[in-house]
Amino acid sequence: MRGLQLPLSQTQRIRLQRAFEKLQSLSSKANSDASVTVADTIPVNYEDAFLKGHGTTDLNGELVATVCGVVERINKLVYVRGLRARYKPEVGDIVVGRVVEVAQKRWRLEINFSQDAILMLSSMNMPDGIQRRRTALDELNMRGIFEENDVVCAEVRNFQHDGSLQLQARSQKYGKLEKGQLLIIDPYLVKKSKSHFHHLEQFGIDLILGRNGFIWVGEHVETRDGMVVDQANSSEQSMVLEEKNQTHTPLEMRQNICRIANAVRVLSTLGFSMDADLIMETVELSSSLKIDIHDMIGSEFHVLVAEREAERRSLMGKRRR
Amino acid sequence: MVGLSVGEKHFIQGGISQDLRLDCRKRLTYRPIYVETGIIPQAHGSARVRLGATDVIASVKAELGKPNALQPDKGKIAIFVDCSPTAAPMFEGRGGEELSTELSVALERCILGGKSGAGAGIDPTSLVVVEGKVCWDLYVDGLVISSDGNLLDALAAAIKAALSNTGIPKVDVAAEMTGDEQPEVNISDEEFLQFDTSGIPVIVTLTKVGKQYIVDATSEEESQMTSAVSVSVNRKGHLINKLDSEIAAAEASEEE
Repeated sequence: MRGLQLPLSQTQRIRLQRAFEKLQSLSSKANSDASVTVADTIPVNYEDAFLKGHGTTDLNGELVATVCGVVERINKLVYVRGLRARYKPEVGDIVVGRVVEVAQKRWRLEINFSQDAILMLSSMNMPDGIQRRRTALDELNMRGIFEENDVVCAEVRNFQHDGSLQLQARSQKYGKLEKGQLLIIDPYLVKKSKSHFHHLEQFGIDLILGRNGFIWVGEHVETRDGMVVDQANSSEQSMVLEEKNQTHTPLEMRQNICRIANAVRVLSTLGFSMDADLIMETVELSSSLKIDIHDMIGSEFHVLVAEREAERRSLMGKRRR
Repeated sequence: MVGLSVGEKHFIQGGISQDLRLDCRKRLTYRPIYVETGIIPQAHGSARVRLGATDVIASVKAELGKPNALQPDKGKIAIFVDCSPTAAPMFEGRGGEELSTELSVALERCILGGKSGAGAGIDPTSLVVVEGKVCWDLYVDGLVISSDGNLLDALAAAIKAALSNTGIPKVDVAAEMTGDEQPEVNISDEEFLQFDTSGIPVIVTLTKVGKQYIVDATSEEESQMTSAVSVSVNRKGHLINKLDSEIAAAEASEEE
């Protein structure tokens, strides 16, 4: 699939190919009509009125695809959704972004979209939890909340008229992310699901699957309820920060973070959709087979994961019938 | 390079001090190295080395030229590195020039030895065709396609692989040579001579983060380094050169 950059031995190559063929045969039965390549005709009933959306064009009276992807139909709109395109935001998506600029009354975040997203100061909960008008003092203290290069988790609020994105971080579960690492994968691998925040209890680790392809794996942080930290307590906070500088993440938690991060890397190399359950299964597979954390990104583990996924899907298919 | 938040920097430093880096390597573990040779058929020798996301290409071109008047029995070798703008946004335009010069100088010192020629990995006398009149000029070019840290090690490996892949065409010299006239040379298209690359060193860079040294740093880890030491070692285990580099300036100290 897409020319994996892995050194595979001959047997591994054959095993991997077999697993992928099995997966393709299982999945494409329903959707074989839906995927198109450039210049394929899209099957449409020309008598019905329909709207030509993105990725399509009228060629010689026929509707033809201009990108490789999947045909989507919503009411009368027919469009082609490209597979490896940039992240396409929808209202209500959870995204993880990095602050690139602190501007007047807003932060600009980079979220792997064609433009930087904007997080307004008024869309953030104030640290003292009180709903009030943002004063000039709040504006001056914006850096106390988020600085440049901070990793922030937020939700898509709406689109501006010029196409740019507005975010909000009104709930306690959104906010700055520290004590962990950020992984970047292709956005199309993260599908919309009920929850994108996963608290993996047995490891004590937070896993946030941002729909823009930014995945955060880090230590679990208790959601603060009405945290009372105002200007008077800011000195206390800076002391806590200094203590943090001396206390590092414990080794075991770090190993778990690494294991999960490597599971995400393996799944993204193989092109499987990100799902907390799948990630946990991959981690369990690696620990049950006693695979060293570093070997998880080796070729053998990739082949094992592909085979395991093919088996799992064929079992699911059999159960349905 | 994308910036890192304070929390992430702290996480990286903690990982290094606990011997578990971001990609779960140990401090002294290299990323998997992929080497391909002969990728540029028009060059006399070429190689591509991939070290994680770091991707470099080295190519060797040989041309006939006149040797230096002060060293008539030696051929000439020039090493030049170019950081392509596709590697990192900061290399756009002339941004990559400083780093390119630093890498070129470092590689020349390691592979070609000091001013007196001592400690060279390649023997320039093997490049001479007719003493004082005709010699081979070797142009070794390195191109950084993608940069994710540890460029020096990757480039040294690529140059070593490219030189081992190099075939210098065989030259027949016409018998009559009178005085200062340029002798006629006949460059063979078929026969090639392989280079003796057993003396070419390998460079290992150790990056200091906090109180520990790591090998093969990614660009995120390099952003946290306080200093780095690069050592070039040849097959016999001789230390050819030790290069100290700080983040701001590069100073190469010779030690043989």
